[in-house]
Amino acid sequence: MSDDSVPLALPLLRLAAGTSEVTTLYRELRKPLLRYLVCLGLTSDEAQDVVQDAFLSLQRHLASNGTQENIRGWLFRVAHNQARNRQTSYHRRFGEPLDGEMDFLADDATPEQRVLEKEKFRHLAAAIRLLTESERECLLLRAGGLRYREIGEVLGIATSTVADTVERGIKKLAEKCNV
Amino acid sequence: MCDVQQKLIAWLDHELPTDESAEVQRHIEGCKQCRTRLAGYEKVSETFDVYCDVVVAAKTRRRVPRWVPVLAGAVAAVAVMFLTFPRTRIEPPPILTPTITAASVPVPAQPAPETAPRKTIHRQHAVAPVQVRAAKWQPRETAVQIAIPAEAMFPPGAMPKGMNFIAELSIAPDGSVKQVRLWQ
Repeated sequence: MSDDSVPLALPLLRLAAGTSEVTTLYRELRKPLLRYLVCLGLTSDEAQDVVQDAFLSLQRHLASNGTQENIRGWLFRVAHNQARNRQTSYHRRFGEPLDGEMDFLADDATPEQRVLEKEKFRHLAAAIRLLTESERECLLLRAGGLRYREIGEVLGIATSTVADTVERGIKKLAEKCNV
Repeated sequence: MCDVQQKLIAWLDHELPTDESAEVQRHIEGCKQCRTRLAGYEKVSETFDVYCDVVVAAKTRRRVPRWVPVLAGAVAAVAVMFLTFPRTRIEPPPILTPTITAASVPVPAQPAPETAPRKTIHRQHAVAPVQVRAAKWQPRETAVQIAIPAEAMFPPGAMPKGMNFIAELSIAPDGSVKQVRLWQ
């Protein structure tokens, strides 16, 4: 997803003029947030709307002297809740097979490599469908670079629960993918 | 089964306290089975990460609604149908263009029969009069071409002997003379 494909920058940066912290956070976290939301099942446009709303909420939050602790987790939590409000069944879409849409994956790969790559992702998609919603969300947030404590704050569960859930999810995927 | 196996993923994610992390690391260095498991968890984590990117790329790429190709196909099919079975167009009848090359002999004008004076009738139209639309088509060539020898145009003696002109008139569809050309 290229930078110029996201029509979010202008309104946000205008609002955040003089708030260098928000601008820095925006540059750092926009892509991980978009990736998380799209992987949850939102469309690209929906995800961009949610990210924009999340950063506007952050702007208001900071303007009202809200807590500045763990802003990354705060942003993910706001985005996560907004995504849930928008689409209650979004989690079902992440494991959808992507047949016919992965041809662009490796343009320089040989046809054999491409087939193997497709097969690998097909297995993974099938395994992802077997995960629980909590496992899927934990793994997505983990892939987004969040620590277990942050994941717990986003999902509203204990850090130890996150550790157990992540471990369970990874082991399921490894087993189903024969790794 | 090693007890450390339960901590491998947390160790991979740097989520263990320092002392526990050192303990797990020591165990991994000496346990081939745990190293193999750890490699598998790493591989799955990387594949999952790449899969997320693939999902994002695929969904970003799928911004054109699914019905657009269907609509485009339908439009193409209609276009092909029209090209294959074109509607028969009613052409105007061909305009005859007689060319009179011989000298036309002036015919004495017949006295016009007397006609009764026309009465001007003011009609009340119940409906709006039909407007005759101008024909949209125009013939490319002039409608009538008439060639008249000079002796038929000038009185006898007006032309020097030996001189002989033929005037060629091109008459436009609206009846006006479009072109006059004299040639010997």
